[in-house]
Amino acid sequence: MLCAANISKTIGTNQLLSDISLQIRPGKATAVLGPNGAGKSTLLRALGFVDPPTDGELRLDDQVYRFGPTKTELVPTPWPRVTIVFQQLFLWPHLTLRENILLPLRKRGDSASGLAGLAREFDMERILDRHPNEVSGGERQRAAIIRAVLLRPSYLLLDEATASLDIEHSQKAFELLLRLKEEGVGIGFVTHLLGFAQRIADDVVFLDRGRLVEAGPPEILLRPTTERMQRFVSLLEFGTTIS
Amino acid sequence: MDVFRIIAQYREGLLGGLGVTLYLCLIVWSAGLVVGSALGLLSARHPSSVGRGAKASSFVISGIPVLVLLFWLHYPVQAMLNVVIDPFVTAAFALSIINIIAVGDTVRDAVQRFPAELVMAGQVCGLSNRDVVLHIQAPLLVRQIAPTILMIQVNMLQATLFASLISVDEIFREAQRINAAEYKPVEVYSALAVFFLMICLPLNGIALVLRRRYGRDLSER
Repeated sequence: MLCAANISKTIGTNQLLSDISLQIRPGKATAVLGPNGAGKSTLLRALGFVDPPTDGELRLDDQVYRFGPTKTELVPTPWPRVTIVFQQLFLWPHLTLRENILLPLRKRGDSASGLAGLAREFDMERILDRHPNEVSGGERQRAAIIRAVLLRPSYLLLDEATASLDIEHSQKAFELLLRLKEEGVGIGFVTHLLGFAQRIADDVVFLDRGRLVEAGPPEILLRPTTERMQRFVSLLEFGTTIS
Repeated sequence: MDVFRIIAQYREGLLGGLGVTLYLCLIVWSAGLVVGSALGLLSARHPSSVGRGAKASSFVISGIPVLVLLFWLHYPVQAMLNVVIDPFVTAAFALSIINIIAVGDTVRDAVQRFPAELVMAGQVCGLSNRDVVLHIQAPLLVRQIAPTILMIQVNMLQATLFASLISVDEIFREAQRINAAEYKPVEVYSALAVFFLMICLPLNGIALVLRRRYGRDLSER
């Protein structure tokens, strides 16, 4: 299980996250929702150990990482057992999409046998040998998702990873995430698509101003108990549900 | 045609001078590339200690014309220290310092501006630090700085001319000697230009090729 226990993140006098606890369970998906500036991406980056909290504790299965005022060494390194698809994707610009996907696999001595299937599924076969700046945002997003999935992480974190995808590829990403869940991968994802969250998440957390306002099963999206989440949900478009 | 007559007639002297120029260049280039790169990397890694010192040195050195630095090292410094140093050594030292500072600045700026998120993406994909450096940082940095570094080396080659003013027998000093004998400045200095073009044009060509090959816009649209 990937657990955050009372994690906080402060930069200077700005408190970005305040005393947040949550769990991402193997084979389950946790959706992180909230308005802009709520700390969703910061939370995901903290959970992905790339921008660790300044206080609190992260537990990755039986490994505990404590964070405090002093710099914490990430030993053993949690990646790619936990990996993250960033909102800005961060593909390496000098490598083709194929090289972007294969480099981490080759270095780990892993097989790339899954690439052909995923490339076909995501209509990437004809563009795999192009550089990231020679393809569209959606195609880059698909490449970043494939790169992360082929690493076979135990926990996969996605920061608005479907934001640039069209409806067909969002559906394919949705099916892929369901498959990963069945395979036991724990998934944490930030999204603004309530329908997406509703259909795939087993747990939902709602953040506002760096605080966890409400958490629970996906049903809280339909019947939020806090006034803040009610207000937020009432403004969102449910028509984005993937069926 | 006098240009080629001068080249043919004084070829031994000119080639000897060219040899000294190239030897001087070799020292200056090697020092600049090796020590300058190391200084740049260290400055980027330790900005508050090495970086601050390198920046201060760069600020001071870049404000001193090459000729003044050469003369200062050749005359007052040696007089103050009561030593006599071979002008070639003085020139090699002065030009190496300038090259080290220039290369160091270029490397430091490139490393410091390197997008941290590309490193982060490597880490979350499970790449080791070594792999991140070898496969992500180094190739991108080399592509970015190679043309600039090459242009700096061409400038350093041209700056070796100043060494003649502290009596280093390099090609420009040889050309001055020939001119004193022939008194045909246009032809003599045209012959000198031919020599410099022979060295500089291929270097500029390489810089152009590198720029065209690796200077491709990598930004996402």
